[in-house]
Amino acid sequence: MHQRTVPCQYFAPQKIEEALEILSRYGKELKVIAGGTDLLIQYYDRLYEINNWLDLKNIKELKDIRINKNQIEIGAMVSHAQLEKSEDIKKYFPILSQAATDIGSPQIRNRGTIGGNIVNASPAGDLLAPLMAYDAQFRLFSIQGEKIVPAEEFFIGPKKTILEPAQLLTQIILPLPSERTYGSWIKIGKRKALIIATITLALVVEMAEDNKTIKDVRTCLGSVAPTPIEIKEMKKKMAGKNFNQLDFAELGQIVEDKISPIDDIRGTREYRKDVAKEIMINALEEIDSACRGCINE
Amino acid sequence: MSKLKIELTINGKKRKVETTTSTRLLDLIRDDLHLTGTKEGCGKGECGACTVIMNGELIASCLVLAPQADGAVIATIEGIGGGGHLDPIQEAFIETGAVQCGFCTPGMILAAKKLLEENPHPDEEEIKRGISGNLCRCTGYQKIFDAIKLAANRLSKKDGGRGEKDA
Repeated sequence: MHQRTVPCQYFAPQKIEEALEILSRYGKELKVIAGGTDLLIQYYDRLYEINNWLDLKNIKELKDIRINKNQIEIGAMVSHAQLEKSEDIKKYFPILSQAATDIGSPQIRNRGTIGGNIVNASPAGDLLAPLMAYDAQFRLFSIQGEKIVPAEEFFIGPKKTILEPAQLLTQIILPLPSERTYGSWIKIGKRKALIIATITLALVVEMAEDNKTIKDVRTCLGSVAPTPIEIKEMKKKMAGKNFNQLDFAELGQIVEDKISPIDDIRGTREYRKDVAKEIMINALEEIDSACRGCINE
Repeated sequence: MSKLKIELTINGKKRKVETTTSTRLLDLIRDDLHLTGTKEGCGKGECGACTVIMNGELIASCLVLAPQADGAVIATIEGIGGGGHLDPIQEAFIETGAVQCGFCTPGMILAAKKLLEENPHPDEEEIKRGISGNLCRCTGYQKIFDAIKLAANRLSKKDGGRGEKDA
């Protein structure tokens, strides 16, 4: 289809060390490819422009989900389908599991990876709000060594991250939440399959030992700002209180006021603000009733 | 133009192919291996016309670079059924009239095949989810659902009719 003049190279190493060495050698002159479901669409008409590829498919340790003491480590090459099917993810991080289930289609979930979703850094990336809500940290490797960065410091703009050309995202680290942690995931889009989200909400609430007092809250949204964001105000408003002391409409209003969405083909600013308020109320109701269910048991 | 060699197993046969890093698996299958049952619709992973089964997973071949498929085992629509016989899913598609223009059909049948392998007795919601990556612009989907249900019933009878649901 396209004529190529420069020789091109395709690297598919089996070890992280080899990958890092290739990265340090080529840096910006190289494209790292995981599943390719986002990347290939971006380069669809100009694949011939890329001279060097680094394909991570043969690095087995990037495909593991493993519990390590009080945290879970998810390899960057774990696919959405793997996340969806993992019993550990379902048990400890149910809304991450649900978000993976809501991505694309079977075809996309089988190829697309968690690492690709993160590094691509679309403001609408489905896994990003749940990852932030679960306090995710990312392990970045280069030949100089490793660095662990919290999710909220990683994203700096639409499709922009702090990842340097010689660095590789290898693992996503999530602390195992307490048993009294509840979550709600809401994705709004124009159809069920293959939709880029108009807005996403990941709400995670940790209850104190009495299961009545709210201990910690993470309210994270996607598609409403240049990066996935946390509304920190929510924790101040909710921590230390019982659900029956909360005014859900007021909390929904805070979310509406704190976000800065844009008008685009997926929805207007006004629509997103209205919907943000409503889905926050729905998420609070869902968690409230889940908590009650547990007390009654 | 720099070429690279890859090896893959396609419909049970090992093939060595010379390709480039800007070739998609879809182009390799159609243009180099001449298996034109796999179609190109949107070229963006949204329509499912280019669906194939790679290493046991349903994938969109327009979103895979040929070298990504080095060493892979691939089944296309030409690889199911065989020996002059149609797969029961293909038969069911014909009988229920689930084929109109036919462009989505290869992908649709492969999606149905994977679905029934993983879940031999899907209900309608599960069928919808199983083929959610495949668009059809002719049938309105009802006949496709009917075909998949018919195939599910027949396949389960072949298995000795274990645990048949909605029969």
